[in-house]
Order: sequence, then structure tokens, then C-alpha cells
Amino acid sequence: MNPEAALLNNYLIVGAMLFGIGMIGFLSRRNMIVMFLAAEMMLQGVSLTLVAFARFHNDYGGQMLVVFVIAVAACEAAIALALVLMLVRRSGKLDVAVWHALREADQPAFAEEEPPEEPAEPQEPSPQLTQAGLTPEIPREETEYRPRV
Amino acid sequence: MPDTKTLLILIPALPLAASLLTAVLGARVLRERSHWPTVVAIALSCVASLLLIYRVHHGIDERAAAGEKGRDGAARLVSGGPARQHGAEGESEAAEPEPKVDYEHVVSIWTWAVVDDAYELENDDPSAAVDARTSEMRSFSISVTLRADPLTAIMLGMVTFISMLIAVYSIGYMHHDPGYWRFFSYIPLFVFSMTMLVSVSNFVLLYVFWEAVGFCSYILIGFWYHKPEAAAAGKKAFLVNRVGDFGFALGLFLLWTAFGTLDFHDVKLARDADTGRAVVLHDTELVTDAAQPGQVSAGVLGRERIDRQGEWLAQHGPKATGGPYHHGTLLAMAICLLLMLGACGKSAQFPLHVWLPDAMEGPTPVSALIHAATMVTAGVYMVARCMPLFLASTTAQFVVAVIGGFTALLAALIAMTQTDLKRILAYSTISQLGYMFLGLGAATLLGVTAGMFHLFTHAFFKALLFLGAGSVMHAMAGVIDVRRFGGLRRVMPATHWTFLFGCLALAGIFPFAGFWSKDLILEAIHEQAGGGAGALMYQALYWAAVATAGLTAFYTFRAYFLTFWGKEMIPEEAGDHAHESPRVMTLPLMILALCALGVGAFFELTHGFARFLGHTPSAVYHAGLAPAAEHGEALDLTIPLTGTAVAVGGILMAALLYLGPREKLVGGLTAVMTRLGLYRVSHRKFYFDEIYYGFVVGPLKVLAWLSYAVDRFVIDGLVNVCGMVPKAFGATLRPLQNGMIQFYALAMILGLLVLMGALLPFFN
Repeated sequence: MNPEAALLNNYLIVGAMLFGIGMIGFLSRRNMIVMFLAAEMMLQGVSLTLVAFARFHNDYGGQMLVVFVIAVAACEAAIALALVLMLVRRSGKLDVAVWHALREADQPAFAEEEPPEEPAEPQEPSPQLTQAGLTPEIPREETEYRPRV
Repeated sequence: MPDTKTLLILIPALPLAASLLTAVLGARVLRERSHWPTVVAIALSCVASLLLIYRVHHGIDERAAAGEKGRDGAARLVSGGPARQHGAEGESEAAEPEPKVDYEHVVSIWTWAVVDDAYELENDDPSAAVDARTSEMRSFSISVTLRADPLTAIMLGMVTFISMLIAVYSIGYMHHDPGYWRFFSYIPLFVFSMTMLVSVSNFVLLYVFWEAVGFCSYILIGFWYHKPEAAAAGKKAFLVNRVGDFGFALGLFLLWTAFGTLDFHDVKLARDADTGRAVVLHDTELVTDAAQPGQVSAGVLGRERIDRQGEWLAQHGPKATGGPYHHGTLLAMAICLLLMLGACGKSAQFPLHVWLPDAMEGPTPVSALIHAATMVTAGVYMVARCMPLFLASTTAQFVVAVIGGFTALLAALIAMTQTDLKRILAYSTISQLGYMFLGLGAATLLGVTAGMFHLFTHAFFKALLFLGAGSVMHAMAGVIDVRRFGGLRRVMPATHWTFLFGCLALAGIFPFAGFWSKDLILEAIHEQAGGGAGALMYQALYWAAVATAGLTAFYTFRAYFLTFWGKEMIPEEAGDHAHESPRVMTLPLMILALCALGVGAFFELTHGFARFLGHTPSAVYHAGLAPAAEHGEALDLTIPLTGTAVAVGGILMAALLYLGPREKLVGGLTAVMTRLGLYRVSHRKFYFDEIYYGFVVGPLKVLAWLSYAVDRFVIDGLVNVCGMVPKAFGATLRPLQNGMIQFYALAMILGLLVLMGALLPFFN
């Protein structure tokens, strides 16, 4: 194999790896934004492949196509994020598995597998420190998770 | 005066037009006037029939005067001996003034269907050597061909005359019926079918109109269709008729196989100039005698066949079997027996007689018209028409006679204990039809004449009796059980006297019509009992006929005395209904009563009927075959006296039992008979209905249930299984749509992989 082909191979392997990781990520993650990120990664893998071939064949058509891909990816990002926004506003969750209503009538709904019940460990009350100064009035849930963005 | 073709067309066409007109306009436009098209049409048909009779008569005279005597064979035949010279005509004419001129006028109106090259006809010139005989293809054409010959003319005259009287009677009888217009649409349809049946000149159309009268009978019996008994009776009539029609159809098939044609008449052929093949000329009239053999396609009952066969028989003796048109005794017997089966169905003979008593569910004018005078005589007409076929098989003749005699006796025995006036008359009809077949079974010219003459007179007096019963029923508001009314002779005098005339005619008392015709039949049977084949059986049949005559008189006058004599009893339903019927009903009764009185004597003493009928082509054939049958010439009064004696005996017996308050005597006699088991057997109609229900209807019901099971489980099951396949297919594919987007994406990727794998070999 000539050295240029070997070099090309390297680029192709990286591109394929990017595409593969992106595909697996798209199929296995449930968070809509992460799915979108994975899709973008697939696009990047493809762009890398295109640029590598362009360099290999000394044909700048590949690079031109990559410019198109980037532009399209940007537009797609805008639209996709807008859609994700709408969906989250409707359901309150970023979980794509919530949206399973468009299915055949006799197919069962998606049932989230409940994590196994962890045996309740005897909670030792955490040591209470003596208060120094005033206690703030923030409710406990607020400090952990803010539902409205 | 219109010509024969016009008359032949008008006679059936007018009632058909009336039927259609009434069907279309009756419900809204005509309403109570619905009877006018029917009455006018049938009356005109009647006039046309009488004109036709005149025409036929005139035609016979013309031909006799012109010296035409049919083909040579016929002349030889009729002079009664072997090979006389043609020049000796003068002598034969003087010696035998009886009919030897035959007359038929065949008119083809329309060709319905033609099948070319349908039958391979062998050139059946008997003089040619067997291997030199050629065959040619003939075409089979069914054309609407009407014939005018004496037999047809007689039937047409009788049918239209009686139909006219019954139509007039129905105006009064059906007056308050909501289906008035429907009735007057069905009646002319029936008259059309019947007139066509007796006018057509080939077997196919005969079968068509045979079925048509059966259908008309069905719709008329079930006229009051919402009454379950009437609907069931209509079905029974049609189905039992169907059994007979099946036999008739098989007979037709055999006829086709044997004869290659189903026409009665000979048809002229023309030779096609190019190919030399025979082309049947449609729309031609009668084949004249000048036609040579080979120029004629011989009909089943046509002159060609009759003459040639007659010539052969004249040489070989009348009872010899064989000849150029003899196709084998077994085939002839099969054809005749199958035709007889058809006649049994239509004319209600054993074993297919069970429909006629139930057919009394229909309106009384229907019973009078169809089941007394016209439809049931179609079987007799057909057998009389096909007599040349029956002459080829003595077995068939025996069968006809035995069926006739047996049925006559059977029906008479049943009629003796019935309590429904119309049923008594129905069984009487079956019995008298048996008489007609008995006469036909003698298979001599006298026998055929006797059978047809009895048909003719029976039509008049039986229609009279039925119309009289209808008049009684009308007055009694539908009650027809003779035990529930009595002493009506003062309430309904006109009906009483006309009914009495009818009863006297049926019983066969001099000088009423029935006496002459019954006497002729007894003579015909007695003649056959004198010698020849089967003499013993004919002797037995003669005594059965005599016994039946006595029984006939008995049950007829039983009905008469129970209805019109005794204590005056009116059922409650009648109320103030019980009065004499209106003039429109009594006038036909009176006309028919006069006919019942006079028609027999008039036609018999002048020998008019016999002579006229003898000019039918098939009867001329007869005349030569049988030993000299000079009816009415000898002054042997044994038979008339025997007949009258048993009749008077029957009347006296009935008077003894039923006239006046004789309940104790009747009761005692009934008890004796019941003890002997005879009364119940007769009252239950010899259990025929039960036997048929058990042996015929039962298995058929099982078969029907089996068919239903097969239809529902096997056939529908198969269809349902076929229906399940897409369902199963769908059920397999449906889980692919579970609403999970990532699942869809996975599916897309897998599909892409498969595609790439399939296309990979194509990338180098």
C-alpha cells in the first residue's frame, strides 16, 4: 500500500470511529440533546471522510461538500433545538421515550424499567452542626434541581 | 276473416298483452276495472279459437275434396290391408268413410336459437346397404313454431272458452280482494302459457310452456301469499311438478339422441349450392306431399316418419317391431316412460298426485281453471300428441293404462271420506284424469279419442262443479267443510241446480256429457280386454274402471246431498252473507250447466268429435294400425248399461246414507269401516303425505342440513381461513411500530446494512 493510501486509511478509520460512536450514541441515549449531539458527531465523521477523500483524490469537491454539510448542520441544529424545546415544554422531560403515542393500537406502551429497590439503609441521622448565623430560606428541592429553565 | 297464422298468433298474444297491461296499470290506474283487459282479451281469444276450428275444418274439407290423402303410405295404411294399389282409392274411400285425410298447418314465427352441425344424421334410407350409408350434419334450430291441427284446435277452443267463463266468474268472486288487479294479471298469463303449450310444434317449447304453466299454477295457488298454508301448497305443487319435469327433460334428451330433432313437424330443407349441405328453411309452412325424402328433415311426429313407418308396418303387420324409424324397443320404452313421468307430475297421477288436493288453498276460480280444466290436462294432451311414440312400446302403453286405472281407483277411494268440498272435487279430478290416461293407455284410435273426449267433457262439468263450490263458499263466507252447512238448495237455487247438473254429468248419467265420454273409455278398455297382448290386465282395468264409476257417483252425490239437502245449516261466519251469488257468478254457471248437459250428446251422436280428431296426423297413423275400431256403430248396449247401473247404484247408496236424517245409519257404517281400519286409511289419504314426508322430505331435510353444515363450516371455514392470512401477516408486522423512535432508527440502520451487504459484490 502506498504511503498516501495508508494515510488515507488513518483518516477513514477516525472518521468511521466518529460515525460509529455517534450512531451508537444516537441509538442508545435517551436524552434528546445528547441524541442530537451524537447525530452531529455522525455528521462530523462523515465530513472527515469527505475531506480525507478530497485530499487523496486531489479533488476539492469533497471539501466543498463539507462546507455544505457544516452549513446544513448549523441550520439543523437550530431547528432541532427548537423542536426539543417544544417537546420539553409539553412533557416536562428531556426523555425521548416519553413520546411513544404514535404506535399500533395493540402494542404495549413503553414502560420504564424501575430500578431495583435498594434496601433501605438505616439512615443514621447526619450529624447536625450547631448553627452559625442564619439559615437561608431556600427550599430543599431548589438546591438540587431547577425544573424551569 | 284472418288467416291461420294471424289466428294462431292472436290466441296466445291477446292474453299476454292483457296480462302485461294489467300488471303495469292495474294497481294505480285500473283498480276495480282490472278485469276488463283480461275478459276482453280472453273473449277475443275464444272467438279466434272458434274461427280456427272452423278454418281447420274447412281445410280438411278442402284437402279431401282435392283428393289429397297424405302420402301413399297413409292411404295404404288406412285402407287397412297390405299393399293395395294406389288406383284402388275409389274402393277404399267407399269402404272406409272414416278419416284418412290429415291436416296440419305449421307456422314459424321466430327462430329462437340455431346450433349448426348439432346432429350427425345418418342417411336412413332403408334400401341402401349399411356401408353405403352416408351421414350428414344437421343443424338444430329451436323456432317458435305454432301448429293448427284438429287436436290443437279442440284444446284451444276448450281452454279459451272455459277461461273466458271463469274470468267473468272471478269478477264476482274476487270482488273484495285487495289483490284484485294481481289476480287479473296472473290469469291471462296462465291462459297465454296454456294456449302456447297446446299450439307449439316442438318439444323444447312444449317444455318451456310446460314449466310456464307450472309457474303460473304456483303463483296462483299461493295467491294469498301471506297465508302460510297457501304458500306451502304453492311450493308443494311446484316441487312435485318439478319431479315430473325432470323426467320430461330426460325424455327430451333421449328423444334428441334418438331422432336428432325435436320438432313435431317435418321441415323443408334446401341444399346449400356450394357445399351441398342441408340448410333448414325456417319460416316455411307445411311440407307438401310433393317433397322427396332427403328434402325433408323429418320431425318426431311428422308425416315423413309416420308415413314411412306406416308403410313398413303395413307390410309387416301392425304389431311387428322394427322398421326404418324404429330405434329399439328399450329406447322407445324409456322415452315413453319418461314422458309419462312428466305427465304424471302435471296431471297429478300416482305417485305425483299429492299436490292437487293441497292446491285447493288457492282461490276457487284458480282451482276451476287450472286444476280442473286446463293445466292438469296438459299431461293428457302431451301423451295424446305423442301417441306414435307410445305405439312403439307396448310396455309403455300398459304402464300408462295401469297408472291411470290405479290412480282413478285410489282417488275415488280417498274422495269417499273427505269433508272439504273442494278436496272432494280435487280427488275427483285426479280420478277422472286417471280415466283419461286409462283411455290413452289402450293406445287405439278409439282409446285416444275416448281419452280426449273425456278431457273435453270433463273440463266443462268439473269447472262447473268447482265454480259451484266457489259460489257456496262465497255465500258461506269461506267455510267449505260440508259438515258445517246443509240444506242450501232453498238458499241458493241457481247454484243448486247447476251443481246438480254437474254432479249428474260427473256421475255419468244419460244424457249428460259424462255419460258419453265415460262410456267411450269403458268401450276402449273393453276392446283391448277382448284379445291381444295383456288382455287379462285390461280386463282387470275394465272392472276397476267400472268400480270407480260407481264410487264416483257415490262420493259426488254424497257431497251434493250433504251440501244442498238435509237440515238447513248456516255457519256463524256467514251471517247475512248466505244468499245467492250475483248474476256475474251465476251466469257462467248456467252456461257451463248447459254445456254439461248438451256437449257430450251433441259431439258424440254426430260423431263430430271423433271425426274431427281423427284428422290429426298422428291419428291417421293410428287408424291404420289398430283393428277396425268402429265406435258407436254397433248397438251393443252392455257397456253403457253397466256404466249407468253402477252410477245409479252409487247415487242410490249416497241417497240412502246422506239424504235425510240418517245419522245412525251413517254412524254405524262409519264405525264398521273404522273398525276395519278402512275409514281412517281413506280419510288420511292412504297416508301418502306421511309416507312422502318420511321417505322423501325427511332424507332431503337431512341432506339440506348436511349441505348447510358443509356450507357453514367447510366452505365458509375455508374463506375465513383465507381471511385470516392477511390478519396473521399483519399481526406479525405490527410490532415493528411501537412508537419508539430509536427503534425506528435502529431499523433504518439495519436495513442500510443489509442493502450495503447485498450491493457489496457489485463494488470492485
